[in-house]
Amino acid sequence: MQIFIRTILLGVVSGSVYALASTGLVLTYKTSGVLNFGYGALALFTTFVHWQLCVGFGLPVWMSAIIVVGIVAPALGVLLDRQLFRRIEGQPQIIGVIATVGLLVLLQGVVILIWGGQTKNVPSIFPRGTLRLPFGVNMGVDQLGVLLVAAGAAGGLGAMLRYTKLGIAFRAVVNNRSVAGLMGINTGVVSGLAWALGTSFAALMGILLTPRLLLDPNFLPPFIIAFVLGASVIGYLRSLPLAYAGGLMIGIIQALFVQYASSQGLLGKISDALPFLVITGALLLAPKALRAAGQGASFVVRTREAADRTSARARVGVALTLFGGLALVPMFGSASSTQFVTIGLIHSVVFLSLVVLTGYSGQISLGHTAFMGIAAFSAAHLVQTLHIPGWIAFPLGALAAVPAGAVIGLIAVRMQGLFLALMTLAFAFMAQSLFFEHPAFSGGEGGIAVLRPTGFRGDTAFFYLALGTLAAAAALAVNLRTGRTGRVLAGMRDSETACRSLGISVTRYKVLIFGISAFIAGIGGVLVGMIQEQATSRTFIPFYSLIFMTLAVLGGIFHVGGAITAGLVWGLYPMVANAFPFLYRIQLILFGLGATVALAKNPEGMFGELRRAGAAVLRAIDRRAAAQQPIDIDPVPAVSGGSE
Amino acid sequence: MTRPAAELRAQGITVRFGGLTAVDDVSLTVAPGGFVGLIGPNGAGKTTTFNVLSGFQTPTSGSIVLGGRDITSASASTRAGLGMGRTFQRLELFGRMTVLDNLLVAAEAKESKLGVIADLLALPQRRREERRCTGLALRVLEMLDLEWAGGRRAADLPVGTARTLELGRALCAAPIVLLLDEPSSGLDSDETRYFGRILQRVNEEMGIGILIVEHDMDLVLEVCKEIYVLDFGKLIAQGAPTDVMNDPVVRSAYLGEEDDAPAVATP
Repeated sequence: MQIFIRTILLGVVSGSVYALASTGLVLTYKTSGVLNFGYGALALFTTFVHWQLCVGFGLPVWMSAIIVVGIVAPALGVLLDRQLFRRIEGQPQIIGVIATVGLLVLLQGVVILIWGGQTKNVPSIFPRGTLRLPFGVNMGVDQLGVLLVAAGAAGGLGAMLRYTKLGIAFRAVVNNRSVAGLMGINTGVVSGLAWALGTSFAALMGILLTPRLLLDPNFLPPFIIAFVLGASVIGYLRSLPLAYAGGLMIGIIQALFVQYASSQGLLGKISDALPFLVITGALLLAPKALRAAGQGASFVVRTREAADRTSARARVGVALTLFGGLALVPMFGSASSTQFVTIGLIHSVVFLSLVVLTGYSGQISLGHTAFMGIAAFSAAHLVQTLHIPGWIAFPLGALAAVPAGAVIGLIAVRMQGLFLALMTLAFAFMAQSLFFEHPAFSGGEGGIAVLRPTGFRGDTAFFYLALGTLAAAAALAVNLRTGRTGRVLAGMRDSETACRSLGISVTRYKVLIFGISAFIAGIGGVLVGMIQEQATSRTFIPFYSLIFMTLAVLGGIFHVGGAITAGLVWGLYPMVANAFPFLYRIQLILFGLGATVALAKNPEGMFGELRRAGAAVLRAIDRRAAAQQPIDIDPVPAVSGGSE
Repeated sequence: MTRPAAELRAQGITVRFGGLTAVDDVSLTVAPGGFVGLIGPNGAGKTTTFNVLSGFQTPTSGSIVLGGRDITSASASTRAGLGMGRTFQRLELFGRMTVLDNLLVAAEAKESKLGVIADLLALPQRRREERRCTGLALRVLEMLDLEWAGGRRAADLPVGTARTLELGRALCAAPIVLLLDEPSSGLDSDETRYFGRILQRVNEEMGIGILIVEHDMDLVLEVCKEIYVLDFGKLIAQGAPTDVMNDPVVRSAYLGEEDDAPAVATP
């Protein structure tokens, strides 16, 4: 009984911190319409500032905490609101997702650049000591402090919302932003304040949690995202009190698991995946009206794409030149450059799976590492356990990812937009903690060997295998887009209702496209295993799903060429960075900046820019060659402000 | 491109939302090749009835039969496959696709039997099927005088053309019966008259049964062969346009012509 009460109490302590942070997250989401996937990175960054002030500069801990929570964090929040979030307001939701994922990547890069990748110890703001409570339960003074501060901050927010004039304006904006604007409320001020508050809460969360958790730049952001999103989803991202209750609930369940389940058993594994089980359960049980919120075409970037006016001949020419040029790399390039290009080709296949899914059919997935991992581990086991030849295990492994893709496709019938993004992210985390971290699946410490097929063992031969696979996958993608299936998918992107009215089964096509995308991602995953000749529990961590999506959009999510652009950027960046080591340290910053800033300007990504430049060159050549006969080149892509 | 005409029959449709009865025991029939109008004041239950017929709303009780087949619990896409076409009051075009591609999607949904494998591998049949379906789409384009717009982006069309396109898209799926939800909304009177003539041609030349839910009385009286009048969820009259319009119950409930007496509209 004593242990039980103490466990519950512990759960309430950590739960109230999650609860506080999730109210902060929901507050910013409701006032600005952007769900901040970078919330954990805000906590990471501000906590590092706190560490710098109190450990680095020797300020008293409480003073440093006040400075960070009261000045640094709100200033950062307002800055982000002004410079980033207000710009993407009213843009399709995917822009918000990518921009905040970019923010996550960016802040993590900044932290690693300034403070290095090491874990830090953060002192507690509370004195040491133990309190004796009734029933013989002991409680640390710091825990009581955490509980009081978190509850006090949330209570303060609640009182402000309830009793002040500003609070009424807040609630009005949270309820209906556009109507509040019409009523003369300055929504800009409100959303600025919301971001200031939300960032403060993130900082407070970091400062309260890290004395017990350690300040680890790689661990903290995903950990916080997991628990805070889990809590927020319980209120379906709408209700502050429910988000608060969700945080408490997750804290308590987590404490119970930690106390009563052994960490190695199945229950222990489930405890790691807990927030994501909560997300999955809450989303699957959500009422229909909520599930459909934030749905539909507006989720995807809107461009003028109608007729693709690049001629088929020009496209075939560009493709032949590109692949022909790439085929020459091993003959003229060094061994190491061949290796870098191979990595680029392999990731092009991965990005291609996202182009097919998001660019062609308007669906989203932040969980593609799960498909890659399932395929790679399956292929490895097929070879090792069943002694199937590598070149058969390669496609078979990828096929193993298809049923998982189909299941997500079925879920996508019921769930759209932001909720689908959350759901797929949760799926990747669950695959990671339930399977990929299981020694039977990933081979424990040393990982599991992923053999290259006979005949392709050498690096040069493997380069051609990667090139050939990419060419085949690209051909499949182009065939898909130009055929009937591609038209149906594009139609679904615009109006699922219309598709239904024409006798098209939306369910069937969603299962189909998720299956195809999972297969291509699986091919990429097996190749990733093969180039390293092994796969470990860290090869397919969910965080990569976010980076892959960011980079795919940056490269150009609508075209096969965009996937190849993104892949080559991914592969060749380290090669360039070898010459300028500084680039290594700012890699994440550059990718993050690219995704946040560049995207708001040109949703067609780098490939869009390249194509426009190419078209301009062609036009110039044409003019010179054949007198005048103006050719209608792609119009400037424009984003029409898709709201909702 | 057309299928044999058949009858759409709804029997005893009732829809309750909690305690509110939105549609109360409504039966109606669109005869093979018939042209039916469904009218009534705001809140009479027209839209709910329409949604029940098209499969976007499940009735509390009652049955719907198309060509002898019970489709009461069939999904919207199944109904479409069985020959029920529809358009939307708020246009649902494939906005970023060309006009021709809008039609092609519909024609292929009905005509093409090729699966995704043929597509992925670009098998030779696919080119053939695509040509055949494009032919169908072009014929509809021609019939509706839309050839000039074939290469345009659907979202860039003016409302009148967009409505015609939506009708054309429904026609490409070779419907037996067409359900049109407020086709005149957003159109001026000239456009409405033009659209009415197109509907008459579709009905007469192609033998497709049509049911329209409509506010515009002139349009309904001009094109429909039979009219059903709803009020407070109940059917209060049905028959030929002239008979219905002269029915005193309809006049009091719907046209509000009984100036002296309080407008109590219970049949």
